[in-house]
Amino acid sequence: MSKLSRRLFLARAAGVVGVLPLLAACQQAAQPAATATKAATTAPAATAAATAAATKAATTAPAATAAATAAATKAATAGAYVPPAAIKGTTLNILWGTFFAKAWQDSMTALVKRFGTEAGVTINIDFLGWADLQPKIGAALQAGGLDICELWPGWHHLYKASLVDVTDIAKEVETRGNGWEPYVQASGPEPDGKYFGVPHGESNGSIAYRISWFKEAITALGLSQYKPEDGTTMDMTWEDYHKIGVWLKQNKQKPFGQALGHSTGDPPGLTYPYMWSYGSQEVKEDAKTVAFNTPQFVTAMKAFITAYKQGYDDTGLSWDDSANNRAFQSQALSATYNGSSIYFSSKNDPAFKAVADDTNHMLMPKGPSGRFYRLSSRTTAILAKSRNVDAAKEYVKWFFQDNNYGEYFRVQEGYQLQNTKKWANDPMWDKDPKMKPYKDQPKYGRDQGYAGPNNEKAAEVYSKYIIVDTFNKAVASGDAEGSIKWGEDQLKRIYGG
Amino acid sequence: MSSLGRPPGSAEAVAVHTRPSTWANPRLWLERDTSLGFILMIPGGLLLLAFMGYPFVLGIWLAMSDSMIGVPGRFIGLENFSELLSDSIFLQTTRNTFLYALVTVPFKAAIGLLLALVLSNKMPLQKVVRAGVLLPWIVPTALSSLGFMMLYDGIFSPFSWLLTSWGVIKSNINFLGDANLAIASVMLANIWRGVPFFAITILAGLQAVPAELHEAAAIDGANVWQRFKAVTLPVIRGITLIATLYSIIWTFADFQLIYILTKGGPANATHIFGTYAYQVGTSAAQIGMGAAIAVYMFPILAFFAIILLNFLRREE
Repeated sequence: MSKLSRRLFLARAAGVVGVLPLLAACQQAAQPAATATKAATTAPAATAAATAAATKAATTAPAATAAATAAATKAATAGAYVPPAAIKGTTLNILWGTFFAKAWQDSMTALVKRFGTEAGVTINIDFLGWADLQPKIGAALQAGGLDICELWPGWHHLYKASLVDVTDIAKEVETRGNGWEPYVQASGPEPDGKYFGVPHGESNGSIAYRISWFKEAITALGLSQYKPEDGTTMDMTWEDYHKIGVWLKQNKQKPFGQALGHSTGDPPGLTYPYMWSYGSQEVKEDAKTVAFNTPQFVTAMKAFITAYKQGYDDTGLSWDDSANNRAFQSQALSATYNGSSIYFSSKNDPAFKAVADDTNHMLMPKGPSGRFYRLSSRTTAILAKSRNVDAAKEYVKWFFQDNNYGEYFRVQEGYQLQNTKKWANDPMWDKDPKMKPYKDQPKYGRDQGYAGPNNEKAAEVYSKYIIVDTFNKAVASGDAEGSIKWGEDQLKRIYGG
Repeated sequence: MSSLGRPPGSAEAVAVHTRPSTWANPRLWLERDTSLGFILMIPGGLLLLAFMGYPFVLGIWLAMSDSMIGVPGRFIGLENFSELLSDSIFLQTTRNTFLYALVTVPFKAAIGLLLALVLSNKMPLQKVVRAGVLLPWIVPTALSSLGFMMLYDGIFSPFSWLLTSWGVIKSNINFLGDANLAIASVMLANIWRGVPFFAITILAGLQAVPAELHEAAAIDGANVWQRFKAVTLPVIRGITLIATLYSIIWTFADFQLIYILTKGGPANATHIFGTYAYQVGTSAAQIGMGAAIAVYMFPILAFFAIILLNFLRREE
């Protein structure tokens, strides 16, 4: 009896397990109808809102529409690139980092969708937060599912074994743009000249400062050669820059702010250039000899420690990339190294209009070896696991046509730096004088790993925050020699030199 | 329903008369307890194999290879492990991890025990209070870490603000910027998050303590401490040890809290195995080395597990 019951039980259990998915499927099939009904009952309000928005857009947009039409006509007459019919019907999955401003992201979406319409290709584009981008791309490189993605600086070197060679397209873009900007030339191609991603530029930081407070300090310190209202006149040395910081912290309690924590943007953004401007390098051109621990750099580090203690907010040792944005906007800082995001977010928010009006940008200060930026290009790359490599290549070719890339570049108003020299003369740079210093940044850009190449070792140095931590240790301990020695030991371990 | 009533030739009849071996007749697999138990375990076993066994074996393989992300590696034996032993950041990470776990777990256990004893007493709104105590545990860590990030903010920390306005301190406290303060701060956040687990687990254990025993002990003149030591503690010892083991494992393998608050900074002062493995394995793309860092946790946790489980077995 018991045996039979058990069998019966098992048979019935199996039956239930078999029937459940069927029921679920039926329920799903029934759902769209229900959803449609619900949508029909709730839609009028949404429709009304959409109509209102469309009407408003129609009344305010004539100029924009006219401009767009003119641009389209111009593009057509200039022989705009037409994707071949062979790729019709394919699907492309694109992954891009989120844009700083929603309007810029919307513009990118519209641009990409336009390719879809022109080429008859189904386009799916996703935007992912910056911190999540690398793990997601790493997974896609191994498992597939993506055709095209935006790679952040250096990743095209790291992942080249899993990317499609796009040398032909990159060379074409280089020629059409009158040559790469120096930072792109240094960071885009592999040592053998091949490209595993087409460089599309980079958004970089610079020094954002408060005009009125700088004026006071400059007057008090007798540094009248600098005119804070005009960022292009602020051709400053580190010594002068730090004098101003010390004065502002001591006299107005408005220190400079500099993130030195484990964060990928601002901390390396300032520490690498400071190191280079005093002749120190993580490695020489031979990519083996570590040239970090030099007497000149030790002296410069001592000066940095003093300046940081006397002129900076010392909680910066823990800051990430967003901490200084909050502090600057709340008027706690007189200057900070940051992307132009501080300025744009203040400018676009009535609550911070006063901050935006009093904010300007200057180039990174210079040292005895010159002025530098840690700057290398992002790239548009095609994954080797893509099932539509031909269509993906057509998309990349299309995206880098002047009218399309120009749309992507101009809408960001200088937040995104140009990839080729041609765009340095674009009228976009005259739109907002406060963004003008950014135009010259590409000239001073060096890639991580400089003076050696940006390879997996340079990436390891960067990922482990070796340079940033050297500065952090120096400021925290006050021991310039010991901290630089620590950094040198780490670099030797990585470079084996 | 015996086989007698069935026509000859049915499965049962054949089974009875010819007595084939159990393995030869799949239908009989369901009849025998041993084989049926095994069969019923197969789905669970397969799930474990797919979702725990495979990643574990893959992790071990990666740790013994020079794999980079997107580049299949080759077998290099224990090279990654030996290389890590001369990596000063890894050694600092190991020290940090031990400090982080061995300081926070006793605090979590002690505060959790106290809280459980308090909560086991009858009080108004008992259910609400018990649910409230559980909150730090059920709020997603990513969210509570963001809360701590604001509390520890270098400029806007409410602690700094209060103490400055009361005139206790002159400048803001550098919670996450000073190496010692940073590790202490992340430990505090970890304790805050981990206490409810101990409290609720021990509280469950306390329900098993018979009230009569307490009453009897009280009549015999035992004071509160004696009653706790002789009556309560023996009953909850087992569950407390299990909770401690879990807590050690979770604390050693922590990631979110530190990743959100410091990413291992300042200057690696708060790096623990999870964050350093991520930094090396994902950010620097050295997935083989990253896996080796994570695998280093395995013998350490196995050691703690063996010690605690042995202790538990001896108790029983």
